[in-house]
Amino acid sequence: MNLLLPGMYFAADTVLHRLDPRTKVGTALVLMALPFVARHPLGHLLTVGLIGAAVILSRAPWRALLGTLRTLFWLGFFMFFFYFFTTPGRPLIALGRVTVTLEGVLAGAMQVYRLCLLAVIAALLTYTTSPLQLTHGLEAMLSPLARLGFPVRELGMVLTIALRFVPTFFEEIETLSRAQKARGVDLSSGPPWQRIRNMVPVLVPLFLSAIRRAEELAVAMEARGFRSHPHRTRLYRLTLTRADAIAAIVVLACGIAGIIL
Amino acid sequence: MHIRVDGLTHIYARGTPAERVALRGVNLEIGPGERVGISGPTGSGKSTLVQHIAGLLVPTAGQVLLDGVPAHARTPEARTRRRQVGLAFQFPEAQMFEVTVFREVAFGPRHLGLNTDEIAARVRWALEMVGLDPEAFADRVPFALSGGEMRRVALAGILALQPRVLILDEPTAGLDPRGRADILARLRAWQAQTGATLILVSHHLDEMAGLVDRVVLLADGQVVADGPTRQVLGDGDGLRSVGLSPPPSIALLEALRAAGWPVRTDAVDIEEVVAEIVPCMADQYHTKTQGHRERDNKLYRE
Repeated sequence: MNLLLPGMYFAADTVLHRLDPRTKVGTALVLMALPFVARHPLGHLLTVGLIGAAVILSRAPWRALLGTLRTLFWLGFFMFFFYFFTTPGRPLIALGRVTVTLEGVLAGAMQVYRLCLLAVIAALLTYTTSPLQLTHGLEAMLSPLARLGFPVRELGMVLTIALRFVPTFFEEIETLSRAQKARGVDLSSGPPWQRIRNMVPVLVPLFLSAIRRAEELAVAMEARGFRSHPHRTRLYRLTLTRADAIAAIVVLACGIAGIIL
Repeated sequence: MHIRVDGLTHIYARGTPAERVALRGVNLEIGPGERVGISGPTGSGKSTLVQHIAGLLVPTAGQVLLDGVPAHARTPEARTRRRQVGLAFQFPEAQMFEVTVFREVAFGPRHLGLNTDEIAARVRWALEMVGLDPEAFADRVPFALSGGEMRRVALAGILALQPRVLILDEPTAGLDPRGRADILARLRAWQAQTGATLILVSHHLDEMAGLVDRVVLLADGQVVADGPTRQVLGDGDGLRSVGLSPPPSIALLEALRAAGWPVRTDAVDIEEVVAEIVPCMADQYHTKTQGHRERDNKLYRE
């Protein structure tokens, strides 16, 4: 039912969509590391600038990005207060036994900033890369491990299937909670213990249908002759283009600059 | 309950590439105790419309009024009205989660805050209403039932709420012909007994014909026809223009008419079709036998 979901792929034809998935995964990892390793404000400015440029290039819907951040609100909230109260330093305000320090406020804000950037990068990666491409890229990047006996292809298939069913899962939660609401449950109000108990009518059918679907999928795959094979060929091959080289150089240069500064 | 749909527009995933308009300014009025069928091709907005009537979605524009109160509002008045609207989703058995049939059907009534005796009475009544023997089924595990039995249990779970408006989204999908006919007959009986409003969503027009007095046709999120069952279903070309095929009875009469038979084409059930065809057949038989007799006489004279 085409709902707005965090982590969904948005089909479009932009520079970012056309990049090789290996480039995207690689640069995303560098960008994710940057807010942690950069020490100079200029390094952070560079990081935010790069991610901002990527957001604009991807033409990702703002609402969807904001929605992704909203889902992290409570995590960010707790992280902020954790640092807020536990970091020693110059005291700002004393609230009973705990003192709020300037260092604490700064450290908390830093953590929230890092969390937001991580979320935006991860969201951008899934917005611009179809699940199939993403796992294909990951598989290609992990393929050296296959020599050590690591089941890279199997892992890729598991990942593909898992990603494929994320939106289905969310849609099902929506439908089920509406259906149970139609049977008189108020899912969104009442005391917390009541709300947790109200999740049962949604979760039980959800898991049941997930198990049923897994069984059906397994049968369907076997019926089409799928089996684990070390040398499966691909319809689409990954090819690196000039855009990939440019993206990699820009991000790597910024990464090195971020560390040195 | 009086239902009034006022300029209802619904857009899914607004502002994203996946944006899709499901309803465009739908106006509709359904009086208490009416039996209405809602039909239209896949993606015409049927399911979205009925979810709005049940107050489960927030309109992008316009509103649904239940006895004058917006259906989606967060007020106590709206909540009491929403509770009087029962909606069975497509494949309602997919929502079952309890360990016994009794508990499954009792789920809704329990949330209405009824006492144990009332709940037991309602469960019993609802199971009988859908044609399941309460004695035999109450303690069984819902997931061990057959598909048709599961559907009945799920419908009983909605009937046990004793809604004043019952909305059924494709209640017979995936059932065998006998199961379909039986469930429809039981719904008809339920409606006659309670006098509640019945809204049936389906693209099986022939099934709908026997159960509703009025048909609303949706296409591309808009109402394209709304009138007595006979009038809407009898308009074969109108149905075909939105991608639906007329019920077999109407298709048959249309074919006969095209072959020169003087029949009406708006008969919606078998008895009516018979009543249309039999006199014509008698006429034809008569003229034919008369022709034979004349020919025989001629031969005889020669």
